[in-house]
Amino acid sequence: MTRDRMIAAARVGLVAGGAMVFVVTIGFVETVARREVLADLLSLSTVMIASVAVITGVVAARPNTRDPEPTGQAATLRGVVAGLVAGGMLGLFAIFASAVDLRDILPNLSPSSVQTITFDMEPLVGAAILFIGGGVLGGLGAILRILPVLPTRMVVTAAIAIVVLSIMEQVLRVMLSELELRTVANFFYQSGALTVQGAVAVGVIAAALVWLRRAPQSPVHGLFQRATARTTRRSSLILYVVIALLLLALPQVIGRFPSDVIGNAGLYILLGLGLNIVVGYAGLLDLGYVAFYAIGAYSVALLTSPQSFLALELNFWLILPLVILIAAAAGVVIGAPVLRLRGDYLAIVTLGFGEIVRLLFLSDWLKEYTNAGQGILGVPDPTLPGLTVPTSDPEAIYYPILLACIVAALVAYRLAHSRVGRAWNAMREDESVAEATGINTTNYKLLAFSLGAVFGCLSGALFASKIGSIFPHSFEILVSITALAVIILGGMGSIPGVIVGALVLVGLPELLREFDEYRLLVYGAVLVAMMLLRPEGLVPSAMRRRELHDSTDPDEQYEEEAGVETGKPAISGGVA
Amino acid sequence: MTEAAWGDSADAADRSIVEVGNLTKSFGGLVANRDIDFTIPRHSIVSIIGPNGAGKTTLFNQISGYYQPTSGTIEFDGVNIVGLAPNDVAELGIGRTYQNIRLFADMTVLANVMVGRHARLKSQWYEVILGLPRVALEEEATRTRARELLELVGVPRRYEDELARNLPYGEQRRLEVARALASDPKLLLLDEPTAGMNPGETARMTQFIGRLRRDLGLTILLIEHDMKVVMGVSERITVLDYGEKIAEGTPEEIRANPRVIEAYLGKGATA
Repeated sequence: MTRDRMIAAARVGLVAGGAMVFVVTIGFVETVARREVLADLLSLSTVMIASVAVITGVVAARPNTRDPEPTGQAATLRGVVAGLVAGGMLGLFAIFASAVDLRDILPNLSPSSVQTITFDMEPLVGAAILFIGGGVLGGLGAILRILPVLPTRMVVTAAIAIVVLSIMEQVLRVMLSELELRTVANFFYQSGALTVQGAVAVGVIAAALVWLRRAPQSPVHGLFQRATARTTRRSSLILYVVIALLLLALPQVIGRFPSDVIGNAGLYILLGLGLNIVVGYAGLLDLGYVAFYAIGAYSVALLTSPQSFLALELNFWLILPLVILIAAAAGVVIGAPVLRLRGDYLAIVTLGFGEIVRLLFLSDWLKEYTNAGQGILGVPDPTLPGLTVPTSDPEAIYYPILLACIVAALVAYRLAHSRVGRAWNAMREDESVAEATGINTTNYKLLAFSLGAVFGCLSGALFASKIGSIFPHSFEILVSITALAVIILGGMGSIPGVIVGALVLVGLPELLREFDEYRLLVYGAVLVAMMLLRPEGLVPSAMRRRELHDSTDPDEQYEEEAGVETGKPAISGGVA
Repeated sequence: MTEAAWGDSADAADRSIVEVGNLTKSFGGLVANRDIDFTIPRHSIVSIIGPNGAGKTTLFNQISGYYQPTSGTIEFDGVNIVGLAPNDVAELGIGRTYQNIRLFADMTVLANVMVGRHARLKSQWYEVILGLPRVALEEEATRTRARELLELVGVPRRYEDELARNLPYGEQRRLEVARALASDPKLLLLDEPTAGMNPGETARMTQFIGRLRRDLGLTILLIEHDMKVVMGVSERITVLDYGEKIAEGTPEEIRANPRVIEAYLGKGATA
C-alpha cells in the first residue's frame, strides 16, 4: 500500500519535472530570470521553479480515493518524494544539458538557461541543490496542504502578494512618486524589484489582512459578512460613488504607462462583455469574434482618417451611432448563415469568418479601400468640441474606454437579469425545448450575435482611436482566443469575472513584457489549470458556481465571491 | 377566472379545440402516422394510447409544431397550425411536457417556470437595456406568478433557488408541468406524466390532472401507458397502432373494443 502511494507521488513528481524541463528548453525560464522578485537576491525564475516544487508537493499530498484521509506524516513524505523526483529530474537534465550541446535540436536551450537552473554553479552542485531543494519545497507544499485553512491561506496570500507587488513595481513606483511618497517608494523598491524589508512588510501585511478577515478571534471577524448582508441602497450608493471617484482619478495617479495598460485591459473588458453575451448567456461558441473588433476599428478609421479613401474626416463621437449600426448589421450578416449550426460546427464556421474578415482587409482586392497591409494611418483622437486635450494620450483615452465599459456592463447586467437573459439561457440549455416554450430562437440568436457585435465593434473603434493607425495583423485569431480566455478565466456568464479576467490576462502580461513571447503558452497553461482546478472561473456567476459544485458543501472559499455577487444587484438601480 | 371561463365555454363545449384531419407523417420510408383523424373537445381530457412505436409521440410533436406533417391538417382553436414554428404554436396556447423530463437543468427552479412564461411577456430587449420601470414591474409579476404555479403543482418553496437538475424525480415532473402552465396554455400536452412514478405518486398525479382541468379550465391531451390512469381520468381515448388510429371512444367503449384488445390490451383488459 505505502509503496503504491510512493509510486503515485513519484509519478506526480515526474509530471512536474517534465513540465519544468519543457519550460527550460523553450527558453522561458531564462527569459523570466531577467526579472527579480527581491532586488539582487531572488529572480522570478527561481520563484517559478520553487513554486512548481511546492505545487507538486500540494498535489502529491492531496487525498485520493485510496487514501481519503492521509496522516500528516504520510502526506509530507509523499510531498517530499514528489519534490525530490521533480527536482532530481530537472537536476539530471541540467547535468546532461551542460555536458552535451543540445542546441541543434533545442535552439532555445542556451547555456545561460542551464546556468539559470543551476543557479550559476557547477552543474553537479546545482543539480544537488535542485534535488534537495525540490524535496524540501515538496514537503513544504504537503505541509501547506495538511495545515488548517487559515495559516495556509495566510502563507499563500503573502507569497502571491509579494510576487505580484514586485512585478507591479513599474506601476506602483510611479504612483508613489506621483503622490510625493518617494521615501515609501525607496523603502519598498530598489532596482526594479521589492527590497527585502519591503517584501517582509508586504508579506506581513497580506497575512495580517487575511487573519483579520478570517480568524474567529479577529476583532473585525464577520464584519464583512454582516456589512454585505445589511447592504442598503444608500450604503451601496456611497460605495459606488467612492469607486467612481477612484476610477476617475486613476490615470492621474498611476501615470502614463499603467494608464495605457489599463486602457488595453479595458478594450478586452469590452470584448469579454460582448463575447460573454454570445458564449456565456446564449451558449453560441463564437471563435471569430475578432471579426467585429476589426469591423469596428476599420469603420472608425475609414470614416475619420484623412488617409481613408472616403476622406470624410468626421469626428469620432459623431460617427459612433453609425458604427453601432454597422456593428449590429455585421452581427446579423455573420449570425444569419450560422443559425442552424450548433456546438463544434458553429465554432469552426465562426473561426473561418474571423479569418475571412481579416483576409478581406488584407487583400489586394480591397486595397483601394482598406490599403491592405499598409493599413490606415492617422486615425484622429476622439476629441470633444471645446476639449483641446489630445485624447490619444493614454491618460485621456482611458475615459472613453471607461465610459464604454460601464455602459456595456450595465447593459449586459440588465439583459442577463431579464426575460431576454432567461431566454438565452434556456436556449443554451435545450434549444428545442426553449422553442416549444415560446422562445423564438432565431431572433434570440441574432439578438445575441448583434449585441455581441456592438460591444466588439465598440472595442475596435476605441482601439483604432487609441492606437491611431490600424493594420490587418492587429486582428488575428489571437484576439478571439484572448477574449475567450478572459471569460473562461473570469467565469462564464459573470460580469465581474470578465473584468478580473481581462485585468489578469491582458493587464498583467503587459507589465511582464518578458512573457510576451510566451503569451500563448501562459494562456494555455492558465486555461488547463482553470479547467482542472476551478472550472467555474475566478469570479463565477452564482449559477455556474452551483452548477459545478452542487455536490459539495459551499465552503468558506466561496463566501468571498458571494460578497462580490451580493454587491451586484444594486448596479441596476432602477431595474431591481 | 375559472368559474367564468367555465360558464362561457359551456356553450361552446360542443366545439372542439383541436381538429386533426388526415394527418400523415413519414420519415423516409417509415410511416409513423397514417391518415389520422381525431378531435379534442374543449375542456376534456383525451388520452392517446398504443403499444410502443405506435406513433403517439410523433403525433404530439406535430401538434406542438416540432415536426411538420407530411400531409394533413391540424387546427387549433380555429387556426391552422401546420407550418407554424414551435414558438408560434406555444404562443397560440399549447403547452407540453416531455416523456423524458427535459427541464433547463442548470437553471434554477424558479427560472424554469419564468422561462415558461416567456411568450406572455412583453418587455423588449431595448426596453430592458433602457431599464424602463414597466420592465421591472413585469419581472416582478412574472416572479409572483411563477411562485403561484410552483405552489399549484406542489413544488415546495424551499426548492425555488435550487438548480432544476438537483430536484427529486417527482418534483422534476411537477416542475415541468409548472413550466408548461406558465404560458397560460389552453391545451396541455402531457407525454407520459406518470412514467417512473410509484403507485402513490401516480395516484396523486392522476388527481392533479383532473384538478388542472377543473380549476384552470384546461383541455388536456395525454399519452399514457398506465391503464389505471388512462381509464380513470380520460373522457375519450384514441388508440394508435402501427401509426394508424384503430379505435376511438369512451373508456368503456375502448375496453370493449375487440380490435383494441387484440392490438394492445390483450387479456389484461378483461381483468
